[in-house]
Parts: sequence; structure tokens; C-alpha cells
Amino acid sequence: MTTTTDQAQASPPNDEGDLLLDARGVKVHFPIKRGVVFDKTIGHVYAVDGVDLQVRRGETYGLVGESGCGKSTLGKAIIGLEPPTEGTVSIDGTDVASLKGSELRRRRKDFQMVFQDPMSSLDPRQSVESLLVEGMRAHGLASDGKKTTARLRELLTAVGLPAAALKKYPHEFSGGQRQRIGIARALAVEPKLIVADEPVSALDVSVQAQVINLLEELQGEYDLTYLVIAHDLAVVRHISDRIGVMYLGGLVEEAAADDLYAQPLHPYTRALLSAVPVPDPEAEDRREQILLAGDLPSPSKPPAGCRFHTRCPWRQETRCDDERPQLRVVEIDGVASGHRVACHWAEQIESGEIQPQVVAPTATVGDLLAGEADGSDEG
Amino acid sequence: MSPANPFTRRKDRIDELAATAASPSGGIAEAGAVDEKPGVSLIASAWSRLKRSPVFLLGAGITLVFVVLALVSPLIAPHDPAAGLLLDQVRPQSNPVPGPQDGFPLGADSRGRDLLSRLLVGSQQTLIVGVFATITGLAGGLSLGILAGAFGGWVDALVMRVVDVMLSIPSLLLAFSIAAVAARPSQVTVIIAVAAVQVPVFARLLRGSMLAQRSSDHVVAARALGVTERAIVFRHMLPNSLAPVIVQSTLVLAVSIIDAAALSFLGLGNPNDRQPEWGQMLGRAQTYIYDYPHLAIYPALCIIVVALGFTLMGESLREALDPKSRR
Amino acid sequence: MTDTATTPRPSRHGDEPLLSVRDLSVTFRRQGEEPFTAVDGVSFDVRPGQTVGLVGESGCGKSVTSLAIMGLLPPRGNTVEGTASFEGTDLLRLPADEMRDRRGRDIAMIFQDPLSSLNPVVSVGLQVTEVLERHRGMSRKAAQPVARELLDRVGIPDPDRRLKDYPHQLSGGMRQRALIAMALACAPRLLIADEPTTALDVTIQAQILSLLKELVEDTGTALVMITHDLGVVAGLCDEVNVLYGGRIVERGTRHELFANPRHPYTNGLLASIPRLDGARGAPLTPIRGSVADNLPWDHACAFAPRCSQPVDVCTAQTPPLEESGVRALRCHNPVR
Repeated sequence: MTTTTDQAQASPPNDEGDLLLDARGVKVHFPIKRGVVFDKTIGHVYAVDGVDLQVRRGETYGLVGESGCGKSTLGKAIIGLEPPTEGTVSIDGTDVASLKGSELRRRRKDFQMVFQDPMSSLDPRQSVESLLVEGMRAHGLASDGKKTTARLRELLTAVGLPAAALKKYPHEFSGGQRQRIGIARALAVEPKLIVADEPVSALDVSVQAQVINLLEELQGEYDLTYLVIAHDLAVVRHISDRIGVMYLGGLVEEAAADDLYAQPLHPYTRALLSAVPVPDPEAEDRREQILLAGDLPSPSKPPAGCRFHTRCPWRQETRCDDERPQLRVVEIDGVASGHRVACHWAEQIESGEIQPQVVAPTATVGDLLAGEADGSDEG
Repeated sequence: MSPANPFTRRKDRIDELAATAASPSGGIAEAGAVDEKPGVSLIASAWSRLKRSPVFLLGAGITLVFVVLALVSPLIAPHDPAAGLLLDQVRPQSNPVPGPQDGFPLGADSRGRDLLSRLLVGSQQTLIVGVFATITGLAGGLSLGILAGAFGGWVDALVMRVVDVMLSIPSLLLAFSIAAVAARPSQVTVIIAVAAVQVPVFARLLRGSMLAQRSSDHVVAARALGVTERAIVFRHMLPNSLAPVIVQSTLVLAVSIIDAAALSFLGLGNPNDRQPEWGQMLGRAQTYIYDYPHLAIYPALCIIVVALGFTLMGESLREALDPKSRR
Repeated sequence: MTDTATTPRPSRHGDEPLLSVRDLSVTFRRQGEEPFTAVDGVSFDVRPGQTVGLVGESGCGKSVTSLAIMGLLPPRGNTVEGTASFEGTDLLRLPADEMRDRRGRDIAMIFQDPLSSLNPVVSVGLQVTEVLERHRGMSRKAAQPVARELLDRVGIPDPDRRLKDYPHQLSGGMRQRALIAMALACAPRLLIADEPTTALDVTIQAQILSLLKELVEDTGTALVMITHDLGVVAGLCDEVNVLYGGRIVERGTRHELFANPRHPYTNGLLASIPRLDGARGAPLTPIRGSVADNLPWDHACAFAPRCSQPVDVCTAQTPPLEESGVRALRCHNPVR
């Protein structure tokens, strides 16, 4: 529990700091419809189910979680691509969740998105120039032809592409270059907040670092605030100041990046971190994994109580099954830890008071096959 | 379980075509090694593939010959197709159809008009019917498809139910009904009847690929950028949805020529036989089909070859535009 | 083949190789396009009980290598050269029907996308029992309880119910387990896993990897692990081959390779990935360019344009693969 030096000040940001993004009680429920003539709603997918999220100006907030946890839907809800069922999303003081039509369209200048797949997110029939100009034109930033040309060159330079790229088409670039174009397109309208949904996961390993570094450089240069959504914990840790961990539609833990990795307090965060393979054989040999049983429950039928209780090795009778834990500041050894954790037993688990149930190892695969081999020998 | 009925099969086929438009990127991203020359748009690269396809070249060749013939046929036809030059040879009992002779290599029809000239000039009418029927069908289908695909929701539901009803009527029957309703059959009624059949096909096709585009990443990206809905529909969704429609139009050209021929054959075509048309010639030939089959065979062959030309062109176009086929 | 299971676990090294790939080359030819050599003279050995990794980025030839060994490349449009001898039989020269028989019995493969590898209209249980019937000569009746056991052993909960399920009713992790169960059903001596966990979440990936590890330790099955994830390799593979542009550029045991990467590509990869256990804050050191910038191997090192320390000879001469023991390196100017 050695907390690293400079990040230790991360406390719940509710009342301090200059908030750029303040999302409260965000829920996104998708109706499941069936019917031949008239669609009847027969249930809901609780993709995002009550999330509070605050991001300070100039900060990078990382949102991690596995597929189906609702992180991408939350990102889309924040930038108004998926209207929230409930809750408010205020960006720079305006509740964008309540905006509609052209009002929302005009506000989009302030918040932009970088997509996962740079190929599919760039219209294949548009040249790079028309892709970049489009957003500027939509927000009245392209009225002066000369200035526009200069701006395009500046954008390309900022993302490390030659000016010759303007006349080319998306399919003529490599994956990393395309992602640079996607980033330049987002930058073109001078946004304050950029939501990056898996910005590097579609790229080759050797190219990921280029894009990560680029995002970091641009942040300083253009005073950007990032919400980075990713499943790769190492990437998120590298790029983020603060990190929120999502599980099945809700935040389960939030802390400064280094704190979270040094001392995960929620059982799910612990399991998640222990599962990430590290490119270091020595560390791999030492690694103690917390193997979770089973799969993510369906977000259309989330478990009652703590969403994680069906897979949690530390689950305690009745309370975990019945009562949904809220995010709260956890005190370790009487000191506020800077983590907000949605677990009833975070303190007791940290102190070792509650021990994980050990999943009994099944008989080995070898036993089984040896038995079979004795029986049937024709092969 | 039960064998797919032709109705759903047709619908599936249209939807399948539509789906090819959804991912124009194809497999380029994966390898990274497919390096195309700078500044090559998707259309240009599809064209460069097409130029190498023998099937396309054959189809395009046939089509080109047909179009050129249609344009110059009045000039090269040896005789006036409407003039009964060999009428004096026609004997209703002994010799109803004058045979080939000097200056009339294919002989004449039952009214003594030069068969070769009628075939040549007939290409013109056939082309007019095919092209205008396709354009009309395309226009109707595109409007309905854009309406459904751009708005979605109840507009989409309404338009599509109408389209489904039209699709559920066998196409020729629909064309016959429309042609039969017209007070006086003419070339225009033939075109309308043939076009009406194609409207639902185009509408469904375009709507399907527009809907696929609607949820595609680049459309979401444009929306996130703050681009207006109108620009999204016309700049992003429509151009990316057109590939299957273009392919379908070439196939429809072939189909409408055949459909128009069928209408003429059944007497629902243009009654004015001073302007010869292949389907009409085929229809007139039925009286003599046992004794003088060549009267039917020549126009039928022309229709088959031209329809084949368009079909070959359409199929190779589909292959060239299909992202799955290039890697 | 029965003795693999009954004899004590074979020692890891020094045995005769089970699979020996020599100078494997695969060239794709497409009408109107330049022929493309996806795999270019790849050689490696796999011994019983050993896990060998093939690591590289998309387009490096790692998947094509495995497909070529398995005889699963499309029959037209490509040429496969070299040998892949499996206990003395060259798999690349085997007639299609014999190869098909081998594929179930001696060699099994699991893929990145488990859904497309399972038959969607046949229940999972039947698919496993079919393998047992076909390759182990069991009756359907005898096969059923074994199938149930297999599903249980690969960690599929409630196997009785799952036997009746169809692939689409299972989650991604469960499907991958079902595929592994099918692969196990024929007790293969060689298992080729092509990005088996790439489509899975990290907690599910951990489950699958530990299952594979257990399998290798318990049955002495040899495992060829194909992945782009250096983390997966570090925990699993005894020997690692790093591929670039269709050729092996570096090889070593996992401890050697990660402790002392000598090829600038391997070194660059390790420096460019953010690590959970490393210090935070410093910018990453990326490898420049992308695979699109590669040179052809004929008179150069393909990696030269992206290399951090190229010298003149890199663009003039093909670097040879210099081997000493397990270690191998293809570089004119190695790191350190």
C-alpha cells in the first residue's frame, strides 16, 4: 500500500477543482422489443445503470471494464450520441443531456469523439481534406478559404502527417495513420473534451505507442480534457490521471491511476488487475491470479444486490446479495484512501479480515485423458 | 425448415446486396500490405479491377454494340422498317411470310416488311423501354428508399409495408395489371408498368443499405462532429449505399427488356407496329411459330443476348464493388 | 499414441521434436497482383510437452504459418514450400483425406473466433461426442459421459445442460472452452492455438490461459501459441519465435528473450507497450512507421525503415538467421 508520491492528492472531486464534465445519475436502458405488428417492450438492457462521473479540466479520466460493462454506452451518453434514460450530463456548465436537435448539434463543438476503428469511422468516399473540413464547416469555422487551408495544414502537422495526405483517401493509409486522421478530425472543431473510445485497441502493438504519445502531446498543446475508454488496463494506467472501473453498468471503484494499481480495493478491480498478463516472465511466474468463476451476467438481468456478487470470491452472506453498495470513500487504517469503492467489505478485505473462498481445483485434464486412453485404444 | 418461398428469398437477396455496402473498407486494414497508389478513390480502384475482368469486358462489349446499333440503326437499316416492300409476295394461304432473297437477307414479316431492318431499328425501341423503365423505377425506388432509410421509425415502417405488399405480388402479374388498367396501351404504359415492378426492389435495396450505414461508425462520427442530418444523409449515407443500387440497375435493364417483351407478347404493348420493338415482334410471330419459327427466334435471340450483356456487366460490377471480393 | 498419457511426463527439452518445420514458405498469387510471400522460410521445432510461441503483429505471417501446417489454406492461389514433419511424416505433402484424419486425431487447432469454428446448428454435446466417435472409435453411448466429463474439466459449469446447448447460447469464453474440449476429445499430441484469447475479456483470458497451461503440464501435449500479446507469451511459452514480415527475426527461451531482447524489433516492442508493473509518466518509446513501410527481404532487412539503429548494410543485404542453440537472431546490428 505504498502510494506513489505525486498522485496522492486525488480525493473525490465533487466539491473541488474546476469540473469540465459532471455527469450525475446517468442511466441508459435499452428496451428489448418483440412483436410482429406492434413492438412490445419485454424487458430492458441495463447498459448503464446509475453512474456519477466527474472530470476536471485538463485531466485524463480513464474508464476501464470488460465488454458489456457499459463503458462505451456511457461514453456515448456523455457526448449525446445515446440519450440517457435518466440523469444529467453537464459539460462546461450546460446540461447537454437535455439538449436536442440543432442546439445539441451546435454544442458538439465542445466535445468530440475518437473512435476505436479508424477505418470504419472515416467515410471511405471522402478525401482527408473533406473529412477534416466537414466539422469546421458545420460549426462555421471554415468561412475563410485561406485560413481554412492553413488550419488544415496545422492540424495535419499536429497529428504528424504530411500535407500531401489531404488529397488522399482513408484506405490509402495504415491503421495508425488513419487513427491520426480521426484525431485530427476531432481536433478540427477546437473541442474542450475528447472522449476516446478504445483509441488504440484496433492498432498493431508497435503502433499503439505512437498514438498514445500523440494523445498525450496534444493534450498539453490544445488544453484538452480526455475521457479514455478502454479495456486494456496497461494503456489506461499509462494515460490516465484518474481511473474508474466499471462492472455491469456501474462504477465499482475510482481512484488516482497509481493508487488504483498499487492498491486495488474492490474485489473486481483486484481480479481484473491480477488477470492482466505482463510481458515479463519473472513477474508472470510470481503472479498470483484471482481467477473469477464464470462469466459476466447478462445486463438485461443484472443480479440483485452487489452486481459482482455472483462471481466475487469474497462474497458475504445476504448483505452482498441484497443490498447494492454505493460508491464511498474507503478509509484504510483510519486514513481516507482516496479511493471511492462500491463494496460493503472493502476495509475488511484489505485488512485480511475476510478471506477469499478458494475455488476447489477440479481433477486434472490429464487424469481424464489417461482414463479414456485405457478404455479405447483403436486409434 | 420449409424451403424458402420465392418471396422471402427475393427479399433476402436484396438485403444481402444491401449489406455489401455496409462495410466498404473490406479487408484492406488487416494486411496493410495492399498499397494502392496515392489519391485513388474507391470508385477508381473498383474500375481498375473491372478493367481486368473478362466477364465485365464481354458484358460491356455486348452492351456497347447494342447501344451503338440502337443509335445508328435508322442509318444502316437497308430498308424502311415500316414499309411493306415485299407485300406483293405475301399470299395468306400459300406464302404468308416471304423468305430470304436478294436485298432481304432474313426475309420479311407477314406484312412484307424487311425483317433485318425491323430487328435493327427494334433495338432502338427496346433500349428506350429498358432505359426509361429502369430510370423511372430507380427514381421511384430511390425516393422511397431515401425516405425510409433517412428517417427510419414510423416513416420507414409505413414505406416498407407498402413496398412489401408490392413485392409480394409476382412481378409480371403486377406489370400486367398496371398495363391492362391503362385505357390505351402505348410505349409509355409499358414503361410505367415495367418500372412499377422495380420500384419496390430499389426501395428495399436502398433502404437496407442506408439503414446499415445509419449505424455505421463513420455516420456516428459525422453526427458526433455536429454535421447536419441533411448533410449526413446526402454526403455520407447515400453515396455509401449506392453501390448495390448501381449493380441492381444494370440487372434491371436486362429484366425490363424481358418484361417489356412479355407485355408486348401478350398484346399489352405498343399497338403501333410502325415502330418495331423486339418483344412486339416476338408477340406477332406467335401466329406462325410452327411454320416460320425464325420470325420468333431472331428477336428472341436479340433479347437474350442483350439481357445477357447487361447481366454479365451487373454481376461483374457487383463483384468489383463487393468489399469481400477484394483482398 | 496411448503412451503419451501413460508414460511419465516427458522431459521438456532434448527429446526428438514432435513437429519440425523447415523452410516453410507460403506465397499468395492473385490474378493481376504481385505475388505476396506471407511466410518466408520459417523453421522451428516443437517437442512434446513444450509450448512454442509465434509472436508478431498482423501481417507477420504467424497465422498463415499455422494454417499451412494444418493444411487449411485455400487450395487455390497459393504455393506452400518447405516441410513440416510430424514424427517423420511431412504434413505438407499428405493427401487431403489423410490430413483431415490427422487433424482431428493428432493435431488440433483452436481459433480466435470460437463461434465461427463451431457448427451453429449442432448442439455442443453432439459436436464433442462426434469427435470422440470419429477419432477415438467410441460408440455414441460410451462417448456421451466422456463428453460430459470433458466439458466439466474445461470448466464449463452445469455440463449436462450445456451439452444440449447450441453454440450461440454460450458466451465467448464458454465457446472457447467448448472448442478446447473438442480439441482435447481426441487427445491431440499437438495443439495449435491461434490468438485463442484475443476476442475474450481479460478475466476470461486468464481462465483460458490457465486451462491451456494445465493441459500442457498434465498431458504432455505440445502447444504452438500464436499471439500478438507479449504478456501472454511471457507467462506461457517455453520458447518464443518473434516473426516480422514473414520471417523469424529472433528466437529464445522466454526468460532469455524478455531479459535480453537483441533484435531492435523485439526490443522496440517491449519498450513501446505500456506496462502495469512499470513506472508511469514517462512517454512510451514507439516503433516508427507501420508494416506498410516494410522493405522486401531480397536485398535488405524488412524492418530497416522502422529500425531505431539501422546501419548501411541493413538496406543492402538480407540479414541471415544466426542460430546458437535455442537462441537465434536475424540482425546486422543487434541491440547490445
